[in-house]
Amino acid sequence: MTAAPILVFENVVKRYGALTALAGVSLTLHRGEVVCLIGPSGSGKSTLLRCANALDPLDQGRISFDGHEVRSSETSVRLVRQRMGMVFQNFELFPHLTVLRNVTIGPTTVLKLGQAEADARARKLLAKVGLADKETSHPSALSGGQQQRVAIARALAMEPALMLFDEPTSALDPETIGEVLSVMKTLADEGMTMLVVTHEMDFARRVANRVAVFDKGRVIEEGTPQEIFTAPKVPRTRDFLSHLGWHGESK
Amino acid sequence: MTFDWNIVWSSLPRLLDGAWMTIWLSVVTMLLAIPGGLALALLRLSGIKPLAMAATAFVEFFRATPLILQIYWVYYVLPAYFDIQLSQIATAIVGLACNISAFNSETFRSGIVSIRQGQWNAGLALGMSRFSVFCRIVAPQALMRVLPALASTWVSLFKDTSLVSIIAVSELSYVALQIRAETYRILEVLTAMAALYWLMGYPQAKLVDWIHHRFKVAE
Amino acid sequence: MDINLTPILTSWPFLLKALGMTIFVSVMSTALGFVIGTLVGALRTYGGRMTNVVLGFYVDSMRAIPLLVILVWTFFAFPLLIGASINAVTAGIAGLGLHLGAYVSETIRAGLTSVRRNQMQAGLALGMSRFQAIRTIILPQAIIRMLPALGSLFVIAIKDSAIASVIAVPELLRQTQIVAGKTFRPFELYTAAMLAYFILCYPVARGVDRLYRRLSHLGSS
Ligand SMILES: Nc1ncnc2c1ncn2[C@@H]1O[C@H](COP(=O)(O)OP(=O)(O)OP(=O)(O)O)[C@@H](O)[C@H]1O
Ligand SMILES: [Mg+2]
Repeated sequence: MTAAPILVFENVVKRYGALTALAGVSLTLHRGEVVCLIGPSGSGKSTLLRCANALDPLDQGRISFDGHEVRSSETSVRLVRQRMGMVFQNFELFPHLTVLRNVTIGPTTVLKLGQAEADARARKLLAKVGLADKETSHPSALSGGQQQRVAIARALAMEPALMLFDEPTSALDPETIGEVLSVMKTLADEGMTMLVVTHEMDFARRVANRVAVFDKGRVIEEGTPQEIFTAPKVPRTRDFLSHLGWHGESK
Repeated sequence: MTFDWNIVWSSLPRLLDGAWMTIWLSVVTMLLAIPGGLALALLRLSGIKPLAMAATAFVEFFRATPLILQIYWVYYVLPAYFDIQLSQIATAIVGLACNISAFNSETFRSGIVSIRQGQWNAGLALGMSRFSVFCRIVAPQALMRVLPALASTWVSLFKDTSLVSIIAVSELSYVALQIRAETYRILEVLTAMAALYWLMGYPQAKLVDWIHHRFKVAE
Repeated sequence: MDINLTPILTSWPFLLKALGMTIFVSVMSTALGFVIGTLVGALRTYGGRMTNVVLGFYVDSMRAIPLLVILVWTFFAFPLLIGASINAVTAGIAGLGLHLGAYVSETIRAGLTSVRRNQMQAGLALGMSRFQAIRTIILPQAIIRMLPALGSLFVIAIKDSAIASVIAVPELLRQTQIVAGKTFRPFELYTAAMLAYFILCYPVARGVDRLYRRLSHLGSS
C-alpha cells in the first residue's frame, strides 16, 4: 500500500473503571482503504470507533487523523468530527426531523451552509442511497434498512474524508441488510476510506482491503481477507470464525 | 427601613400552632382522599355506565377548576342553598378532600390500568376470582407505581392547605396574615411564614425525590 | 332554592374583562415559567456540579413553599426590601412564573435525560458543539416527549392564576368576589366562574393530549 496513512492508532488504551476496554491497540488506515474490524461481542470494537472521533477520551496512547493528533480539546475535536462520518448500529436518526432535515442539519448547523445549498446536497445524496422519494417522511415511517441509508447520507453530507461504521447492519431485518451493504460497497468502490465493524463476513471478504481481528481489547490478527478467512494463524481467530459458521472455504 | 425581628420570636408560639393546624389538615384530608380516590377509580373502571360517567364527571370537574374557587363554592353555596351548616374547618376539609380525591383517583386508575392484561389473564387462568386477582396480583404491583404520584400529591396538598386561609381557618398562612395585620411588621412576619413553610416543605420535597428514585418503574 | 341570573347578566362585561385578565396572567406566567424552566432544566442537566446544587436549591424551595405564600411575599414584603412598590399584576406574573418555572425545569430535565445518550453522540459525530446538539436535537425531542406534562403545567398555571386574587390582581375570581359581595348572589356567580374556568382548562388538557398523540412518534428515538 503506497497511499498515505490517514488514521493511525498507536498503542491506544481505554478503561471504564476497572474494565480495560482497549488494551493497547495499534492500527493504521491508509487513504482509500477499507478496513473491517471483526471480533466477539464486548471485545472493544465500538469503543475503538468512539475513540477515533473522541466521543470517548483515551487513557493512553495516541490517535492521529490526517497528520494531526486527535485530542479532546473542544475545537480541534469538532474539526476532526466534521471530516469523519459515523454510522451507528441503531441509526440514531433524529426522530423530530424529516429525512431531508436529518441530512441537512449537519451542513447547516456545523458548516453554516445555506439552506438551499444544503438541500441540493442532501437530495443528491438521498438519490444516491435510493431514497429520493422519502425526503418528506419522518424516520419512524421508514424501514430499518431505509433509516440506515438515511444515516449514511447524513454522514456523507459533511463530505467526510473517512467513514466509521459500527455494525451498520446488525439491527436490521435480514431482507434489508443487502440494500445497506450495497450502498457501502458503492462507497468503497468510489474510493472512500472506511473503517467498518461488522459481523457480515461475506462483506468483509469481498470489500475489505484488510481485516483486523479483535479480542479482549487487542488486535490479535491483521491481514488481507484472503489471509484471515482462508488461513488464520491465531487459534482464537479460527474459533471465532467457526463460531460464526465460517469454515475458511471461499466460494 | 428598619426591621424588627423580635416580633417573629414573640409570635412564634402562634405561628407554630398554625403550622400544627397545617399538618393536621393535610393528614386528615389525605386519610379521606385515599379511600375517596380509590372509590372513584374503581367506579370509573367498574364498567357500570352511569356510575362510571358520574365518577368521571366529578374527577374532570375537580381537576379542571381552581381549588381556591372550589373552597369558596363549598363555603358559600352549601349553607346558603342546600341548608348544610359546616364549620370552617369542616368546609375546608370537604373542599380539600374532594379535590385531592379527584387527583388520587387518576393516580390509582393509571396505576391499575398500567398492569398488563396478561397479569389478569395469568391470575384468572389459575382459577382465581377477579376480586382476588385484583387484591393479590394487580393491586400490589399497582401500589409500587402509585406511591411516587401519591407522594407528589401529598406535597401539593400540604402547600394547598394554605388556600383555606381565605375562609379563616387558622392554619399557618392565616395566622401569619393575622399577625401581619395586627403588628404591621409585614416583611418580618411574611418572611417567617415563608421560612416555616420552607422548613417543613423542603424535606418533604427531598423525600418525594427519594421515593420517585426508589420506586422508579423499570420498563 | 331560587336562582337569579340578573347579576351575571348585568355585570358580564366586567366579568369578561376579568376573564381576559385571567388569560393574560396565565399566558404571561406560563411563558415566564417555561423560559425559566427550560434554562434551569438544561443547566442542571448539562452544567457543572455547583450550578446543579444552586439551581436545585431554587427548584426545591419553590416545590416546598405554597404559591399563596410566594405571591403574598412578592407583593407585600419584597417591595419593602427594595424600597419600591410593584403593581399587583407584575407581582402576580412574577410569583406565578417563578413557582411554575421550578416544575417546568423538573419536567424538562426528565425529558432531556430520557433522550438516549447516542442521540447526543450522533450530533457530536457530525461536528456539532454540545450546545448545538442540545438545542437542535435533544431539547426538541425532550419537549415532544414531555408535551402532556407541559400541557398539564399550562392548565395548572390557569388554575393557579386564581390564587393571584389574594393580592388583588383583577382576574376572574377576584372580580367575581366583588360582584358576589355587591349583589349577595354567591351561588350564581361562583358557579358561573367555575364553569368559565372549566371551559378554559378542560379543552386545553384535551387539546394537548390530542396534539401529543399526533406528534409522539417525533420524540421516540
Ligand atoms: N460507556 C461505557 N461505560 C462502561 N463500560 C463500557 C462503556 N462502553 C463500553 N463498555 C464496556 O467496554 C467493553 C467493550 O465494549 P464495546 O462496546 O466496545 O464492545 P464491542 O466489541 O463493540 O461489542 P459488540 O459486538 O457487542 O458491540 C464491554 O465490556 C463494555 O461493557
Ligand atoms: Mg459494539
